[in-house]
Amino acid sequence: MSSIETHAKDAGYWAGQMVAVSCKRDRDSFMRIYDHFAPRVQLYLKGLGSSEAVAEELTQEALLRLWQRAELYDAARSGLSTWLFRIARNLHIDRVRREPQWVPVQDALERLDEPEDAGPSPAESYAEHADLRNRIERLPATQARLIRMSYFEAKSHQEIAGELGMPLGTVKSCLRRAFLRLQLGVRRGA
Amino acid sequence: MTPRHHLNEATLVSFAAGALSPEMTAVAATHLEACRDCRDRLAHAERIGGLLLGQQQANELDTARRARLRHEMLDRLDESTQSRRDGTIQTRSLDVSPSDPDGLPQPLQAYFGPTWSALRWRWVAPGVHMIRAAHTSRDTLLLLKIAPGKSMPVHSHQGTELTQILQGAYDDALGHFSPGDAADLDNETEHQPITAPGMPCICVAAMDAPLRFPGWLARKLQPLVGL
Repeated sequence: MSSIETHAKDAGYWAGQMVAVSCKRDRDSFMRIYDHFAPRVQLYLKGLGSSEAVAEELTQEALLRLWQRAELYDAARSGLSTWLFRIARNLHIDRVRREPQWVPVQDALERLDEPEDAGPSPAESYAEHADLRNRIERLPATQARLIRMSYFEAKSHQEIAGELGMPLGTVKSCLRRAFLRLQLGVRRGA
Repeated sequence: MTPRHHLNEATLVSFAAGALSPEMTAVAATHLEACRDCRDRLAHAERIGGLLLGQQQANELDTARRARLRHEMLDRLDESTQSRRDGTIQTRSLDVSPSDPDGLPQPLQAYFGPTWSALRWRWVAPGVHMIRAAHTSRDTLLLLKIAPGKSMPVHSHQGTELTQILQGAYDDALGHFSPGDAADLDNETEHQPITAPGMPCICVAAMDAPLRFPGWLARKLQPLVGL
């Protein structure tokens, strides 16, 4: 495995790059984040149904927001990829699906927990991140499929049920079991 | 108010993934505003999203195109550094302050207006008033006000019904539901809520398929309620 791949798998590395962006407005760090994440964000947005051109435009905007709002980044609260996931998802729902209520609702929810406790230390959250990655890789095939259809295609429970010919109740209980499996480490590993 | 009935994990996953309809989102967000526990679980569901995003195998765009986009991004970094000081973060203002007791939960305001006092309830059956949100997607979003001590017809669902209790309370086979509680039901649940005595029970419900009422009374009620 090359050193770049090792870095790419290390949530701590990306959080560190982001801290350099937020504290020093470090352009080199930002462009390292850009080079790694822009193609991934673009793939995610395309999967949600955007054309190549729209996905490309929204990707640029998502990364630009990371630069503009860098001082709001809090490594203890969320990993860089989680932050970017939220930005890209919100842009898609606001611009492509045109649901004007989504962003204000997200902002209001986010404000609720701002002044609370500091949460786990960054080192703890990197360990959790690695643990979560292992758990995702070990999900049973059906659960993994439903998780991917939810996150990468934004399919509702009904749509998944229709597409896979599964009863709605089975789709819900399967997603529920997947979530509980992925949550175990966070609760018990602490 | 510490809720005892929570969102199903499958609902939290879909909320985080942006896979709920706007109407389901409005009801789920009303619960999330009231429930720290569900907000913590939502944060985990978003971590899953972040991890999946980072794990994607990005296929290589052609290098010329990537170089152009990269160049464009560098230019935009300069622009936004200059304009950064004049308040880049816009927050949309709310119609009423979150602490106003007359204010509806924020996620519902786009559908039902900003305040309780301006709601225009419509009579649908003895002891039952309703407001159906206009301008919805394929799903239905309702505010329901049911008189105290009233038994609703037994009904089941073809799809999902997500309900959040705003005032008053009801009991059914699943337990006691009071303000802050969510009832996250699918088509395997048949239930007959009975509202608690004292005050009307007001709840907001989103459903993605028509309700099914068995029995003759319910069949008469169904066209009346228009579900």
